[in-house]
Amino acid sequence: MRIAVCIKQVPSTNEVRMDPVTHTIVRDARQSVTNPFDSYAIELAVQLGQKLNAETWGISMGIPATERLLRDACARGLDKAMLLTDRAFAGADTLATAYTLSLGIGYMGGADLVLCGRMAVDGDTAQIGPELAEHLGIPHVTDVCEVIEATPTKLVVRRLIEGGTQRLTVRLPALLTVAKDINQPRMPSIAGVRYGLEAPFVALGAAELGADPAHIGLAGSPTQVVRTYVPERGGEAIALEGDAATLAERLLEIIEEVSGHGRA
Amino acid sequence: MAELKINLDRCVGCGLCVSSCPAGALSMADKKARVDPDTCVLCGLCLGSCRFGAISIEKDHGGAADRDSYRDIWVFCEQRSGAVLDVGLELIAKARELAERRGCRVAALLLGRQVAHAAHSLIAAGADTVYLCEDAQLGHNLELPYAEVITRLIRSHRPEILLFGATAFGRSLAPRVAARVQTGLTADCTELDIDPDTGLLLQTRPAFGGNLMATIHTQIFRPQMATVRPGVLPAPTPDLTRTGEIVPVAPPEGLFDAVVLLEEVLTPPAASIADAEIIVAAGRGIDGHKNMALVEELAELLGGAVGCSRAVVDIGWAEYRHQIGQTGLAVSPKLLIACGISGSIQFLAGIGGAQKVVAINTDPEAPIFGVADYKIVGDCVEVLSALIARIKADRGL
Amino acid sequence: MPYTLIKPMTEEYQVYLRDESRTIGRAEAIAFVRNEAELAVVLAKAHADGTPVTLQGARTGLAAAAVPNGGLVINLMRMDRVTGLRRDAEGRFYIRLQPGVILSQLNKRIADKRFDTTGWDDSALAAYAAFKEAPEQFFTPDPTESSCSIGGMVACNASGARSYRYGPVREHVSALRLMLTDGQILTIDRGQVFARGRRLTLTTDQGRRLDIRLPDYTMPRTKNASGYYVKDDMDAIDLIIGSDGTLGVITQIEVALQPLPGAIWGAACFFERESQAIDFVIKVRQELDQVGALEFFDARCLKLLRTARAENPAFGGLPAIPEQRTCIYVELHCADEQEAARRLFGLGEMMTACGGDERDTWVCRTVFDRDKLIFFRHAAPECVNMIIDQRKKRDPVITKLGTDMAVPDRHLKEVMAMYHRDLEALGLEYAIWGHVGNNHVHVNVLPRTAEEHGRTKALYLEWAKTISQLGGSVSAEHGVGKLKAGFLRVMYGDDAISQMTALKRAFDPKGLLGVGNLFAPEGEGR
Repeated sequence: MRIAVCIKQVPSTNEVRMDPVTHTIVRDARQSVTNPFDSYAIELAVQLGQKLNAETWGISMGIPATERLLRDACARGLDKAMLLTDRAFAGADTLATAYTLSLGIGYMGGADLVLCGRMAVDGDTAQIGPELAEHLGIPHVTDVCEVIEATPTKLVVRRLIEGGTQRLTVRLPALLTVAKDINQPRMPSIAGVRYGLEAPFVALGAAELGADPAHIGLAGSPTQVVRTYVPERGGEAIALEGDAATLAERLLEIIEEVSGHGRA
Repeated sequence: MAELKINLDRCVGCGLCVSSCPAGALSMADKKARVDPDTCVLCGLCLGSCRFGAISIEKDHGGAADRDSYRDIWVFCEQRSGAVLDVGLELIAKARELAERRGCRVAALLLGRQVAHAAHSLIAAGADTVYLCEDAQLGHNLELPYAEVITRLIRSHRPEILLFGATAFGRSLAPRVAARVQTGLTADCTELDIDPDTGLLLQTRPAFGGNLMATIHTQIFRPQMATVRPGVLPAPTPDLTRTGEIVPVAPPEGLFDAVVLLEEVLTPPAASIADAEIIVAAGRGIDGHKNMALVEELAELLGGAVGCSRAVVDIGWAEYRHQIGQTGLAVSPKLLIACGISGSIQFLAGIGGAQKVVAINTDPEAPIFGVADYKIVGDCVEVLSALIARIKADRGL
Repeated sequence: MPYTLIKPMTEEYQVYLRDESRTIGRAEAIAFVRNEAELAVVLAKAHADGTPVTLQGARTGLAAAAVPNGGLVINLMRMDRVTGLRRDAEGRFYIRLQPGVILSQLNKRIADKRFDTTGWDDSALAAYAAFKEAPEQFFTPDPTESSCSIGGMVACNASGARSYRYGPVREHVSALRLMLTDGQILTIDRGQVFARGRRLTLTTDQGRRLDIRLPDYTMPRTKNASGYYVKDDMDAIDLIIGSDGTLGVITQIEVALQPLPGAIWGAACFFERESQAIDFVIKVRQELDQVGALEFFDARCLKLLRTARAENPAFGGLPAIPEQRTCIYVELHCADEQEAARRLFGLGEMMTACGGDERDTWVCRTVFDRDKLIFFRHAAPECVNMIIDQRKKRDPVITKLGTDMAVPDRHLKEVMAMYHRDLEALGLEYAIWGHVGNNHVHVNVLPRTAEEHGRTKALYLEWAKTISQLGGSVSAEHGVGKLKAGFLRVMYGDDAISQMTALKRAFDPKGLLGVGNLFAPEGEGR
């Protein structure tokens, strides 16, 4: 049995601000990290891998430096890692990324269970999971917050919906996207870090995957960003100043104005 | 292969693009911008940074759809137990507005077990046609039977645009459909616009972690698909005099039993911050888990609710149900007191409906001040403590 | 007009009567000053009226130094500007701060390299330009409570986990401005004014001369924040640092920054037995140079955290704590990840040598894991506070009782044994954690009754005697404040206290500042 976890490299901070002098966009990211939502998927893979005696793979599409994050995932308990890296993949939107990942999973011989974080913090689209499941031709369940039962052929899971949850059975092979807090991702141990550095790792390009050039990278991406901007601000705010007591007084006036009744 | 192009005649060597690049792929050489193609991820962020139009992304397209054969704007109208969700009506109204400009029609997709009774409300909201599919397999919101019906309809009727509400189900179903028909999908749009001549849908959403707005389009592929969060678009006033046609659709072809619903547990709707009149909202700037108690105390004193930014939920100071923003709830209180919230675009996307905003932050450059009616540059803990003490004193507590 | 700065101590200012020691004081008035000019006005009024003055920062102190003892509170949190940067000939950066700058915000600004430069002079702006281009820098002192103020940190010579490698705040302060009660200013740059033996002469900017006789006690050779820092031929600036708000008002502080190490990794190492953990500490201390912090959590502390995690949703985010009984947290500060990995594997081998297993560890190499481990390390004091707050409702006498004592390296095993033996003999509920690398752990007793509270205080006084005899310090980082004034007398004796009182009088002849800090007010009994 094989379990594959999709892992994305994201900037450690999403802070983007306007340079007050040049009025241009400046990003403050200092380090690339594993998408925090993916860490729950990694932990679930490790737990299910132990329970079902399955081989666990981390898979990512990204720049060569992503190897570091994949090895970190192995330090946390995954068995092996695969990086899909090629200049031809650059500019991929979710459709092209899902296609590329599906080739990687095919290359490893298919997976009985594919796990994704519910979304990536830098894109917030939450589309990769369902699109990848479609490319693989397997069913999917999003926002899974609990795996109640797991056998090599079937899972019983709970997923979050608005105002509640649903309990579902899912026949494998299938893909799940997991919600935050489905588990508590473990930290690696020293022994784990040692393993991570030695773990089996494979890097593959478009040719090795047999990718159709029309379906990868920017060319295979139907959507395209045509403009980015920091939105215009509204009118100037009224500045309240003074010591804490004065400010409290002013705030109370504003609150009373809103709640429409005078002072008691 | 696609690549980033710098027009050296236009480039004035100002260097603005260099600082905008998240990948560190841009640099200056000989007073001109230069791109390292091995590092560039073609994210497009630099396009907006160049004031001289010197940067472009050249794209050689894969399979192009026969665009001209696609027509009309469709809205998928999700229902629960036969009741259409408000977001479907909001989308129909938006679709109506876009269709008027494009000169096309609006169709609603209504799928479920027994849902025919709801069709007229969709017409009243602005639909010209309702595609109605009733079947036991559609009784629960499960992706596979829904995707089968919708893709079949897309293939036979070729809509130019297809919109979904960004509910849990919509966000799961739409990408499944998009991948099956091999087209683009833009999640969580906050603005939709249309080019009346080409029918190109301009989809605007917070991007890059919600700190920037990005306008995205799907130039070649059809239909153009997008999801929009509930509550972002205004609800329509139903026009009960409108007429339209109801077109029955054949039920899902095949048995979809890979995913089976065993049980649905709905917790009785707790008082949601979406309905609160006063919200005291905390951001990471409150500087410590313990200061959440101040926020909670003030909210209680004011009979309001506690809200928070995503950062606060991420570090575990509050539960997700308090989260305001693009990935949380859209709120529309009479008063929002934002404490230590910097005001990322992703947060601001959720407070568009707030009537009055008071922002307290130590950083005078915090973007939250840009949307605030009142601003206090200072330590919110100090201000909150004083305000709480003051209210308690007034009430003799 | 100026006197409106001073406000009566009404209901809304009640929070300013207490600090994180949970002691509640009393005061008649409070002033929030924004600059030296306002401070001078307020001090002049207090000086003229003979009103006692308590100085206050972010009120995160644990020794009640900022809790007023009558009179006027001067809160310095409005003096919160970063006023400049400097770069010395060796390329080292120094940052000039007003006392109300909050540490966590300072750290963020340094990391972001973003400062509000309004009012900076040309040389500061030039240093800023160089700073932006320079490798990442950091300010090393890291007290557990990062919402503390810089002024407070200097006043008590604060430390933190990383003081193991970088020393306490003292070692990073390069210049100070101190306003005396009469409004005169002392400007002191490190390396400029020294004592001759135990005689020190200072001259204010206005030209007044202070002739000071330094007390003749010898300070312990451990981490120390107890009483005035005095030494033969000492630098004058060191007398002000750690003076607990008793000599003057610090109005400006310049601190040195350090280049940030290329890789900071943490490892929480769990052991079955405390003795194995202590052996590991001693081994790490001897064999590993790249250690930034070396921290300890005993079995009872881990148990407290396990319970909190299970029962209180606020602690639900804690990592699942293994069954082992003792945890040592080691932070590695290395040039790069390759070196960090080498050192980490070295740690694993040392664990094995001490009877541990390198699988029983948490390694943090990413920002997210770092946040988790910070939460773990900070959860213990928060847990204790919450339990104490509950018990205080039953009996208001009950307060948190934590020690802050340090001993020389050779006595580590001995004091750890003493702590457990004495606490168990009295049947007290307790947890121990802290900076074991400096032989400086905090014993925290959770008294269940007023009677246990009393017994604990008596026990601590006994320990203060023992620790002093072992050449240790009764307050290694929290400062003496009001709560540990009794211990200071035990540590240095009555003569030393009288000499300290005399020293204080040279700065503050009317005895107005920080009444009750370091020593009980004159005239009040011991």
